[in-house]
Amino acid sequence: MKLKRHAAKRGALEVERPVDLAVTIGPMTLRNPVLTASGTFGYGDEYAHVVDVAKLGAVITKTVTLKPRPGNPPVRIAETPSGMLNSIGLENVGLERFRAEKLPKLAGLGATVIASIGGETPVELARLLEALGNERAIAGFEINFSCPNVARGGARYWAVPRRLERTLEQLRPLTRAALVAKLSPDVTSIADLAIACEQGGADAVTAVNTFVGMAVDLEHRRNRLNRATGGLSGPAIKPLALARCHEAAGAVSIPVIGSGGIMSGRDALEFIAVGAAAIQVGTLSFIRPRGATDVLEEMTAFLARRGMRRIADWRGSVMSEPGTSPMPDWKQPASGRKG
Amino acid sequence: MSEVPAADRASLGPSWRQVRAHVVAQRDYGAGHRWLELETAPEFAAPTPGQFVQLLLAAPAPVLLPRPMSVASAAKRGPKLRLGFLYGAVGSGTRALAELVPGDPVDVLGPLGRGYPLETPGTPVLVAGGRGVAPLLFAADTLRRAGRRCEFFFGARGRDTLVGLEDAQRQIERLGGRLHLATDDGSRGRRGTVLELLERVAHRLPPPLVVHACGPHAMLAAVARWALARGTPAHLAMESVMACGTGVCRGCPLPRSAEGRARHRLMGGDAPSLFGNVEYAMCCTEGPVFESAELDWERVE
Repeated sequence: MKLKRHAAKRGALEVERPVDLAVTIGPMTLRNPVLTASGTFGYGDEYAHVVDVAKLGAVITKTVTLKPRPGNPPVRIAETPSGMLNSIGLENVGLERFRAEKLPKLAGLGATVIASIGGETPVELARLLEALGNERAIAGFEINFSCPNVARGGARYWAVPRRLERTLEQLRPLTRAALVAKLSPDVTSIADLAIACEQGGADAVTAVNTFVGMAVDLEHRRNRLNRATGGLSGPAIKPLALARCHEAAGAVSIPVIGSGGIMSGRDALEFIAVGAAAIQVGTLSFIRPRGATDVLEEMTAFLARRGMRRIADWRGSVMSEPGTSPMPDWKQPASGRKG
Repeated sequence: MSEVPAADRASLGPSWRQVRAHVVAQRDYGAGHRWLELETAPEFAAPTPGQFVQLLLAAPAPVLLPRPMSVASAAKRGPKLRLGFLYGAVGSGTRALAELVPGDPVDVLGPLGRGYPLETPGTPVLVAGGRGVAPLLFAADTLRRAGRRCEFFFGARGRDTLVGLEDAQRQIERLGGRLHLATDDGSRGRRGTVLELLERVAHRLPPPLVVHACGPHAMLAAVARWALARGTPAHLAMESVMACGTGVCRGCPLPRSAEGRARHRLMGGDAPSLFGNVEYAMCCTEGPVFESAELDWERVE
C-alpha cells in the first residue's frame, strides 16, 4: 500500500509503468487479450516475416477438420459497404498435416496456440480432440460451432443449446487444455447458447463469428458469391457484434472473447468495456497483416495514458446494470437454467 | 521439388512487405483509363512483370479492402523504387485512386505472386486484351532491356480501347519488335479478335514461340486452348476478387485441370500451404500467371 501511494505521487513516471495485460481463460494465462481470429491469420506462420507472433495473446489457427477440405468454388469474396462477405467453406489442410507440419512451425515461433477445430457431428469433434487434446504445443481449442458457409455442421446445426451442452460434456474429458466455443450471432438468444456452453464445461465463449449476409450482382442478375449467402465481417458488423458480446458477457460467468469488426485499439477496448475478457482481430489482418500487433500497441498506449495499471480494471466498465438493458430478458434466458 | 532440404523449405516463406508509398504522378490515359506512379521505400523489393501489389488507400477511404493491381512499370530511382499502374476507374476503389494527387500516401503490399517466365528461350509473343496490356508493357520493357525483341499482339473492342497504345508502340519499336493490332470493329489494325490475328501471323514468326498473355478471361481461355492445341507454351495472367492477396484468406480459387491436379499431387506434402489445394489453385500465390495446362478453362469464369 505504502509503495503504491509513493508511486502515485511520482506522476509522469507512473505513466511509463507497464500495463498488466495478462488474461486468464480456464487453464490458460495469455500475455495479453489480443488474439487472431480463426481463418484470418492462416496457421500463424504465413505472416511471421512481418508480425512477431510471440507478442500476441494467442494465435487462433484456421479451423481444421479431420480430412482436408478444398473449400467452396469461386467466387468466395465480395466487398460490401464497410465489410466483406466470405464463402470460403472451411478450406484447410486437415488434421494430419496440421499436426505434423503447421503446429510445430507455429510453436517454434514462440506463439501461444489456440487450435480451431470444426466438425459436422459431435463424434468428429471428439475424434479431433482425441488426436490433438494432449499436444503440448496447444494451449486451447476453439470449437467452430458457427461456420456459415458449409452445407453440414455449420452455424445452424450447432445453434441448439442442448446440442452444444451435450457436445461440450463429451469433449470436456478429452483435454486439459482450454475449451472455447465460438458462437454464431444469427441466433434468437446468444445468451441461451453461451449458458449452454458454460453448463457443458466450456472455459470461454467467443462472440461472435460472421453474420450471414448476401450480395447481388445486378448487371448479371446473380449472387455475387458462389453460394447464396456468406459470412459478413469488418467494421460494418462492429455495433452488432458488440451487442452480442455484451449480451453473452452478461449471461455467463466464464470469460467471453469479443470478435467482430475490430480495426483499432479503441475498438478492442469497447469490447472489453462491455465485458469481453479478450478480443480477436479478424478482417483487419487481411488489410494490414500487422493489424493485430497494432491493435495491441494502441490499446496499451490508450490505457497507459489514462494511468490504468491492469486491463482487468477496464473490463466490464460499461456493462449495463441488470434491468437497464435494452434487452430485459437477457438475465432470464428461455432455458431458465440460470437467473 | 525434393532437392530442397526440409529445413531450408521452412525458411522459404513469403518475402513481401507492406510499406508507405507516395503518388509521384497521375495522368489520364484515355478511354477512362489512368496512369498512376508511386514511389516506395527502398525495402520494397522490385517486382517482375506479371507480379502484382495490393494498393491500400489511406483512411478515410470509400472501400475497406486493398485493391490488387498488376505492375505496369518499375524503375529504380536512386534508393527508391518507382512503380507504374495502368487502371480503369471503374469501381469505387479505383475511382478513389483516380482522385489521388502527387504527394498523397498509398500503402503498398508486395510484390506478390508469380510473374511471366520471360527468361524462357524462344520468341516472346505478348498478347494483350484491352487494359490487360498493363503487365505486358512491363514485360516488353524488361525484354527490351535484356536485348530481346518481342512480337506484341494487342486487341480491343475499338481504337479508343487500345489503352496505352503509344507507350507500347514506343517500347516495341525501340528494339525493332513488331506490334500487331486487332479491333472487333476494325477501327484500327485488323478487324477481328487478337487470337484470330495471332493465328494468321503465328506461322511467320521465328519458332519456338512462347506466349505471355493478359486480358479478359474469355480471351485468355481462347489463347490457352489455341496454345494447348499447337503445343505452344502459354502463360496467362489471371484476375480474381481477393481480400488479402497473400494466400491467407483463401478467397481467390481457380479450378485446376486434370493436369493441374496431377502436378499438385506430385508436389505432395511439399506444396506450400499458401498455395491452393488439389482442387483449386490460389490466384494470388500460385498465379496470377498460370501455364495453360494448369487450369480448367471450362470452369474458369
